[in-house]
Amino acid sequence: MNYVLNRLLSMLLTLFLISIITFAVTNILPGDVALMIMGTQSNPEALAGMRQSLGLNDPLIVQYGHWISGMLTGHWGTSLVFKAAIGPLLLQKMTASGLIVLMSMLIALTGAVPLGVWAAIHRDRWQDTASSSAALFGVSLPDFFWGIVLILLFARTLGWLPSSGFVDPGTDLGGAIAHAFLPSLALGLGLMAHLTRMTRSTMVGIMEQEFIRVARAKGLRERAIIWRYGLANAIGPVMTIAGLQIGYLFGSIIVIESLFNYTGMGWLTYQALLNRDIPLIQATIFVIAAVVMLTNLVVDLLYVLVDPRIRLG
Amino acid sequence: MTDLAVNGNDGAPILAVDGLRVEFRTDAGPVVGVEEVSFAIRPGETVCVVGESGSGKSVTSLSIMRLVEFGGGRIAAGRIGFRRRDGRDIDLADLTPAEMRAVRGSEIGMIFQEPMTALNPVFTIERQLTDGLIAHKGLSAEAARRKALELLQEVRIPEPERRLKQYPHELSGGMRQRVVIAMAMACEPRLLIADEPTTALDVTIQAEILALINRLKRETGMAVLFITHDMAVVAQMADRVVVMYRGNVVETGSVTEIFEAPQQEYTKTLLAAVPKLGEMRGRPAPERMRGFAAPGSKTPQQPEARPARPRELIEVRHLSTRFPVRSGLFRQTTAHIHAVEDVSFTIFAGQTLSLVGESGSGKSTCGRSIMRLTEPSRGEVLLEGSDIARLDSYALRRVRRDMQMVFQDPFASLNPYRRLAAQVAEPILNFGLARGAELEDRVAGLFDRVGLPRSFLRRFPHELSGGQRQRVAIARALALNPKLIIADEAVSALDVSVQAQVLNLMMELQADLGLSFLFISHDMAVVERVSHHVAVMYLGRIVEIGPRMAVFEDPRHPYTRTLLDAVPVADPRVRRSREDRRARTLPSPIFPLGHEPAPSVYEEVGPGHLVIVE
Amino acid sequence: MRRFRTSKGMIGLILVGLAILIAIFAPMLIPAGLSTKMHMAERLHPPSLKHILGTDELGRDLFYRVMLGARTSLEIAVSAVGMSILIGLPLGMIAGYFGGWLDNVLMRIVDALLAFPALLLALTISAVLGPNLRNTIIAIGVAFTPYLARIIRGEALRVAQLPFVEAARAAGTNNLNMLIRHILPNVMPATIVQGTISLAFAILAEAGLSFLGLGTQPPQSSWGLMIQASRNYLDISAWTALVPGTAVALTVLGFNMFGDVLRDILDPRAK
Repeated sequence: MNYVLNRLLSMLLTLFLISIITFAVTNILPGDVALMIMGTQSNPEALAGMRQSLGLNDPLIVQYGHWISGMLTGHWGTSLVFKAAIGPLLLQKMTASGLIVLMSMLIALTGAVPLGVWAAIHRDRWQDTASSSAALFGVSLPDFFWGIVLILLFARTLGWLPSSGFVDPGTDLGGAIAHAFLPSLALGLGLMAHLTRMTRSTMVGIMEQEFIRVARAKGLRERAIIWRYGLANAIGPVMTIAGLQIGYLFGSIIVIESLFNYTGMGWLTYQALLNRDIPLIQATIFVIAAVVMLTNLVVDLLYVLVDPRIRLG
Repeated sequence: MTDLAVNGNDGAPILAVDGLRVEFRTDAGPVVGVEEVSFAIRPGETVCVVGESGSGKSVTSLSIMRLVEFGGGRIAAGRIGFRRRDGRDIDLADLTPAEMRAVRGSEIGMIFQEPMTALNPVFTIERQLTDGLIAHKGLSAEAARRKALELLQEVRIPEPERRLKQYPHELSGGMRQRVVIAMAMACEPRLLIADEPTTALDVTIQAEILALINRLKRETGMAVLFITHDMAVVAQMADRVVVMYRGNVVETGSVTEIFEAPQQEYTKTLLAAVPKLGEMRGRPAPERMRGFAAPGSKTPQQPEARPARPRELIEVRHLSTRFPVRSGLFRQTTAHIHAVEDVSFTIFAGQTLSLVGESGSGKSTCGRSIMRLTEPSRGEVLLEGSDIARLDSYALRRVRRDMQMVFQDPFASLNPYRRLAAQVAEPILNFGLARGAELEDRVAGLFDRVGLPRSFLRRFPHELSGGQRQRVAIARALALNPKLIIADEAVSALDVSVQAQVLNLMMELQADLGLSFLFISHDMAVVERVSHHVAVMYLGRIVEIGPRMAVFEDPRHPYTRTLLDAVPVADPRVRRSREDRRARTLPSPIFPLGHEPAPSVYEEVGPGHLVIVE
Repeated sequence: MRRFRTSKGMIGLILVGLAILIAIFAPMLIPAGLSTKMHMAERLHPPSLKHILGTDELGRDLFYRVMLGARTSLEIAVSAVGMSILIGLPLGMIAGYFGGWLDNVLMRIVDALLAFPALLLALTISAVLGPNLRNTIIAIGVAFTPYLARIIRGEALRVAQLPFVEAARAAGTNNLNMLIRHILPNVMPATIVQGTISLAFAILAEAGLSFLGLGTQPPQSSWGLMIQASRNYLDISAWTALVPGTAVALTVLGFNMFGDVLRDILDPRAK
């Protein structure tokens, strides 16, 4: 349990550093929030007053204090573009993106684990060459390229699935999944390629271990050795690698969601960046980084369950 | 088990390897692993296959199990005759994978070198013990569990009930090797293949495991194929011996034939290179290994006896080194590992003091603390009067010129990306002792000194063998003309013939340059050969110290005796019938904060011969 | 070098070599007018003899534009990765070699930085600084630095514990010489491998940034920008997207293959 407490404490420290980085990055911005709110037509005195009331004349450390205490007490401010409270806005968009991220991870893992294991156990034979080449090609394609191909194929040519828009899963679950499917697939295919490569190399490493040879010397079936001995040891590392890709997914959704007009977190971030909506930028990147870090924490804690060396060590 | 014992009286071989040839696929075409390997094993017999690295001994054992195929190998020619339990004679090389699986683990069991990696880290001991039983014998889970428990008792593991539920990382190395043996014994095999089963273990654990294998053999009448590089182990275990060299069988014979009347030159060289514990009895000074004169040196001369009272070079007083154990939220220190605890000794100029002990005894930490590569916690290290333990980093750098170190792993001892000349020159450059042509001359002179050709100067480490690398490491250590060299298991990773040459080089350097050595080793036979004084370490303390003859010929501390007893002697006539005991658990050197262990108090039992008082 | 003679090594070498040659020579060989000249009459033409890869929405020749885009994409990728190595290599080496509180502090910051998705960080920096060529390089460079620093730090930590480093310390080698003579050459293989793979990722990142309009800006020509421009015409002329997309894919594939083979050769654990 000490390990868990340790991880939780170090999470708080990282969260603090994340907030500092968020604040630092957004404060090298040459833009002026007061100017954005008031518009360029406003008179200089009003502008100065606005700056004063927004605390823009305070030292950076004081501004950071205001901002972080606001974040911690739930006063996340108002978006300049959407003219809406940031908190509820993020919650809604996060749900939408969560659906895509989960679906694409599911798609990726379903394909990657069998493919990677299959390649590893046929190391250096045609099966390996075929699956590894496909995977290598997969990681070399930009996500949005997958997106465009899928739109052309499934939406424009075949007309099977919608290529644009977002439906709230609360009102129409089927519609929500249908709308999320193509963006998820676009993300999932690239991720699947990456995870296939990772699973392969993890599995190759495991199959070279001495305990695999010992299992063979016991006369166990090769299938049992691969799927029980091999995979039981691969689950932890593969899970960790998959967990780290959550960060990659939260980067890619910015491109994919704007390609599919799917109004989730990525789309929101993009709007915020395009319009230099500073309060919204700060909140979104802080929340995304925090979510990424939390997922990794959860994965690390799950690792404890699959590896007795940490659980009991 | 009775039918096995009956078979034991049968004279026909259970395994007959004939003309075995194994090839490996590589990018540059097939490479021969072993060829023309032939030998036989009769029931109840132990055959040792002995050889240095690259001899093909492991390839041979893996081929019999047909495991070599999983490593890119192929049996290209030959027959591996095996008599099955039902009396049928089959050729293992001919079996289909499915047929072979029925033999593996059921009629032939195998144990491997590395107990730390031989067990699946994420499965319990029970699961790993039972899955073979379930696969071969179709036992129910409950029956398999009972059998697993029986097996653990059979290999004398304490608290077997509890072990079943444990994971491998919760057991010590010796305990894990017992589990691996239990796994191999699960289906009562008729042949046990043991591939270097004790190489990774401490000598006392090795003795336990060897005794265990012998008892199991006696009780079940199975045959044992024992693969090892260690002639001493061969002398203790073998009925018959197969000597291999570079993929070929050099010589086969009974153990007495091989040890007392070896026919082949290679076998003779190999035997000459093995130090035999006890052969230095009655000789006060170290002596070089016979027949291993370093190339270029004149008639091997024995180092002349030094004057009766040699000068003190280093005096270590009450040295302790502790490592913090950190845990908890703030990584605070919650306990200390007492790696070295109140250790005192003196090294005389031109002499060798050996620190012997098993893993975890603190002998390496002790050597590193003297160099201050690890910071000692307390105590004094007096080098000709000045206390090294108290020097600032500037003065330390200066004083380190007098002490250099040679490490165990010849592959990690040299920077793979620098030429050898540059690595040997580095210490000289650091202190600005020479430049240009003078530097080149000195480096070339050092290469001559350690018996390396000058053509090696421009080479990179990967172009050298392990023994050659160790010579480079010695040349680098000599570059600053030190007074003391700390050799931390410096010959442990080398093949015996190479080990003998490097040992001779070290003794020669001592005779010529008046060097002192702190020789850290786990190998009692080597220590007996090279030392003037010996200190035996156990759990961080020196339990016995004294002149080499006194410690080896009149050991007083029980641990010293255990240690000397456990060492296999490279002489089949000095066999020790050892009782197979239960596995022991070692006491822990971890103590809570603020724990002050009692100081080490010694009793003088002879001139300079001290034994700790418990 | 023999191990480059695998089909993967050769294809990788050819693809990377081709991309570099095009990036260097295309701007010299292609007359300036050809790639920028607009022919409203020839908008969105499919591939033909006159325009072998067709034309874009302004009637410009796609073949010439995709050739010219190579320079922008590679220039950004190489500069960005160069920048991240320049920062990440010393930081990683120092953290890994010295350890202690310095390592702790540096790696905490790196960990926090790694929580930001690289693309998000790059987009934010680019948006904040104002999108242009130089700022795109900085954005991608900064976003990639923590990854490199982390890997190099791990290598340095491993190397610092090897006996030859201890032997050098015992022989009086000071920290600066230790870093230069012993640590640096031994972390270089991992750095080169990671650098090559990062080049692939940087090309993808540039394409992503430009696709969102927060990377390269017109009138400069880059592959991401070309795909962005094609978005509104997907129904009538898919090739305007597929041509630059394929260019990105082939270049990235080349770097990935090259990196894979380099890893096989240089990775100390693979030996």
